[in-house]
Amino acid sequence: MTATGIRRANFWGGVITALTILMALIWAFPLYWGVISSLKPEDEVVRPYIELWPENLTFQHYVHALTATQIGAWYVNSIAVAVGVTVITIVTSMLCGYALSQLQFPGRKLLWWLILASFMVPTQALIINHFVLTSQLGLINTWAGIMLPQLIHPVIIIVYKQFFDQVPHDFREAAVMDNAGEFRILFRVYLPMNWGVTTALSIVCFIWTWNAFLWPFLSVTRTEMMTITVGITQVNDAFGVYYARELAAAVLAGLPVALAYLLFQRRVTEAITLSAGIKG
Amino acid sequence: MRTGRDLELVAVTKRYGTTVAVNAVSHLFIEGSYVCLLGPSGCGKSSTLRMIAGHETVTEGAIILAGKDIAQLPPARRGTAMMFQSYALFPHLTVRDNVAFSLKMKGIDKAERHREADQLLDLVGMTALADRLPAQLSGGQQQRAALARALITKPQVLLLDEPLSALDPFLRIHMRAELKKLQRELGITFIHVTHGQDEALALADEIVVMNNAVIEQAGPAREVFNAPKTAFVARFIGGHNVLALPQGRFAVRADEVRLAQDGAEAVVTSVEYQGAHVALNGRMAGNQEILALIPEADFFADPKSPGDSVRLSWRADRAHPLEA
Repeated sequence: MTATGIRRANFWGGVITALTILMALIWAFPLYWGVISSLKPEDEVVRPYIELWPENLTFQHYVHALTATQIGAWYVNSIAVAVGVTVITIVTSMLCGYALSQLQFPGRKLLWWLILASFMVPTQALIINHFVLTSQLGLINTWAGIMLPQLIHPVIIIVYKQFFDQVPHDFREAAVMDNAGEFRILFRVYLPMNWGVTTALSIVCFIWTWNAFLWPFLSVTRTEMMTITVGITQVNDAFGVYYARELAAAVLAGLPVALAYLLFQRRVTEAITLSAGIKG
Repeated sequence: MRTGRDLELVAVTKRYGTTVAVNAVSHLFIEGSYVCLLGPSGCGKSSTLRMIAGHETVTEGAIILAGKDIAQLPPARRGTAMMFQSYALFPHLTVRDNVAFSLKMKGIDKAERHREADQLLDLVGMTALADRLPAQLSGGQQQRAALARALITKPQVLLLDEPLSALDPFLRIHMRAELKKLQRELGITFIHVTHGQDEALALADEIVVMNNAVIEQAGPAREVFNAPKTAFVARFIGGHNVLALPQGRFAVRADEVRLAQDGAEAVVTSVEYQGAHVALNGRMAGNQEILALIPEADFFADPKSPGDSVRLSWRADRAHPLEA
């Protein structure tokens, strides 16, 4: 590359970096604003001008959210539901993806097309059916009721199928020659060959479930059975409009997800890349 | 000589829809022999191997090993093992665990399976690398590990699907000598699929040449090379001229063709120095191409150039009549 070429590349590289930083700031500012507001006294929050740092830093809203609400129960509910959904979804999607990719059985293509077609139907369109069914099963206000409709994630099945499709066929044949059955091929050969896929999909599934609002909101009426995303709306109901308190509860609700992002940044990016263009 | 533990294909056919990949192939693989299935891409050699291994179903026919039809048995119960072209070593397992994998599937305890794996690794000279992952091995080392893994099942027949094709030429020559040595030591039948004529000639006790889903010729390496039955075999095995003479079609080895005072007239089209030989290409009457591999000293005693008229001859008993 010539000196002019290098200078031109550096210039555009700088422009792109500056734009990326600007976009990141635009995305990050509301988060910053939320966190900082939750650390201000209520009267500071409602001031009609912008203050980027609290005049009087306080943790009183966090203390309130942790002591005067049922946030503990909401955390437990969210953890139980998110872990349950993640484990069950990952195991069933993995088995389904493996079967679709590796096994020959009648109706395989039909099943595959049905899974693909399920993208055409938005979850919201099914929510009444889900509610009626859950209600008839007597599962309203139960963990099982919150979990059941969230166990279907076609995107995870599709990512698994694609992953299994890409594993060279020789590995399967070598394992078959070594007397491995289908479960052993899956659990002893295919999965350990790339745990990254499972880790990434598990994290993403956990985050989706943790952040889910509409279905947990509809399927639970008792405060102590709410997940945290639904529970924090009760802070508003119970105490009127207290922005700082609501934001403190929201920060507490988002904390595990934020931690998951920070700890597993690379895996989350990998999962998003894997499912890019698939998720409907 | 036939023994009770030979492998026999009886009219084995493989069809994929209307395409016939292997057409009623029958052949006896003598116990303890090194057999090379040789042929161009798509001739049916890999399908044949995969049917013996159990990775492809047999459309028609029987595969008899030690007196028992194994055609319908699952791969792990056939008494065969396979070494894959890609080696198919599981990337997440160490070499030792790869070798011991089949024993693990049989429920054999760790100490015992590691002991057996170590014996096999010793046999292929891989003891020092037992704790490495496949990605940390060279191509040749991966091949040895794959061999050990295939042999741990104590197969009666080892199937090798183009085992040397992933290696560089130098290593290929080295490894084929090791394969032959190992086969002699173990005394089991090796069936080796290749499209490399030199590989087949160097290794095989018996060469089975396949073309268009059938066996064109089978026999000891020297026999196939010296007396090809068909024009295809003569051309594929290499080093032969296929000539249409007044008496019929004949195969004549290129190194049997000599520059002479009398013989067939030809015009030199190209001359290529190859070290021990000089490859002289010529065109005979009827526009027939002919190749003569002339010993270097003979050629340079009376060098020829493209465009020169020459006479070429060969011993009459070295011209083998072709059936097709």
